[in-house]
Amino acid sequence: MTDMMQFWMFAGSLATILALFALARGMKLGGKPSIDGEDTAKSIADQVEDGFEANRVSISRKRDAALLRESAGRIMVIKRHGGHFAGRILTSRASAHEEVDAIVVDPGSAEKQFGPVRLSLDDAASWADAINRL
Amino acid sequence: MPEFSPTQVAVPLFVVAILAEMIWSRQRNPEAYEPTDTLVSLTFGLGSTIAGALFGGFALSIFIAAYEYRLFDFGEEWWAVWWAWPLAFVLDDLKYYWVHRAGHRIRWMWAAHVNHHSSQHYNLSTALRQTWTGSFTFGLLFALPLVFAGFHPAMLAFVGGFNLVYQFWIHTEAINKMPRWFEAVMNTPSHHRVHHATNPRYLDRNYAGVFIVWDKMFGTFEPERDDETIRYGIIKQLGSFNLLWSVFHEWIGMLGDIWHAPWRYKLSYLLREPGWSHDGSRDTSDAIRARWLQRQKSAAGSDKKVADQNPIADTTEPA
Repeated sequence: MTDMMQFWMFAGSLATILALFALARGMKLGGKPSIDGEDTAKSIADQVEDGFEANRVSISRKRDAALLRESAGRIMVIKRHGGHFAGRILTSRASAHEEVDAIVVDPGSAEKQFGPVRLSLDDAASWADAINRL
Repeated sequence: MPEFSPTQVAVPLFVVAILAEMIWSRQRNPEAYEPTDTLVSLTFGLGSTIAGALFGGFALSIFIAAYEYRLFDFGEEWWAVWWAWPLAFVLDDLKYYWVHRAGHRIRWMWAAHVNHHSSQHYNLSTALRQTWTGSFTFGLLFALPLVFAGFHPAMLAFVGGFNLVYQFWIHTEAINKMPRWFEAVMNTPSHHRVHHATNPRYLDRNYAGVFIVWDKMFGTFEPERDDETIRYGIIKQLGSFNLLWSVFHEWIGMLGDIWHAPWRYKLSYLLREPGWSHDGSRDTSDAIRARWLQRQKSAAGSDKKVADQNPIADTTEPA
């Protein structure tokens, strides 16, 4: 196969990929699941870490993220990721700061790609305090 | 032997099948697809062909050199030995089972294979989510016995290509179960959904490529249950659609662990199972399953106790 043929095959493949992506968007595929209650948040947390039993749950007003705490003190943040949720158990490298009516949770430099999670919560101050004391 | 690559020829069929599944998804299950996830998966597929072209030559040169030391000789016209083809296909699939199992149980291999599992979706685009870094593992060693046995590297590449093409269609939720006889022998969407699941029950199960019989033979088979919703992806979901992070995250994590570990543990971070840590601070799939099983037993035990304490009727007397 000549270099030119290989180039056109690559270009054709890339164009097909972009076309399929555009089509998936155009067809409105995918979903935006929401955390509709404490049970849902706990169930998602159990999926993030099997056996995680939260005794305190706060769900963001947009219902796209949540903070959960176990009796042993471990704290988990979950966020919507595409059509699903992803989460992290927060470590001492995590930090949190308050904004007006919200909290921004940063899981730490090792989780740069997971990224900070912004949650609009009523009890932001107590969560920020708990996270910063980890 | 004419030049022919089963995977290249199948690409247009892959595209048509993905289109068909997208239409099914729109009508029946829009959540089955996520556009950005699909973009990442398909780009993985394109990148893996480029990586294969760039780095695959090393494996090929090893195989060609090893072929010179073959124990059996199918002759100059090895491609004309008809029975060698199905035999090569079956033995290559057995090899696939073991290289795939190693891909889940040895962190060095997992670093390359994790890409295929890091989508939280399960659809035909996930099938094309292929590794870019497979050439940097020792996976090629699993094929050497076949080369030494006398199978020409081109024959193995050909049957291996068909093996991959077969595995494309099983990455779907659109098909529930195939006929019983088929499910008993072949790898199917149902069996492979289990393989991509993160439910503790399903972790590290169903490694088969084409024939599910290998899992049944070697004790790694788990049937899909109707009463348990499958969650796809990896234990620590990426939470990111960054393509390069998706490609390299496990390599970065593994090399970081090796760098920071005390000397006597460094090799273990390379060769032991994913999730292993020298201080026990992380979970392997075995540990997760064992803990889950323990909880199931405890829950069943406490249910039994409650039933014993609150009998509907005394078994010694008529109700």
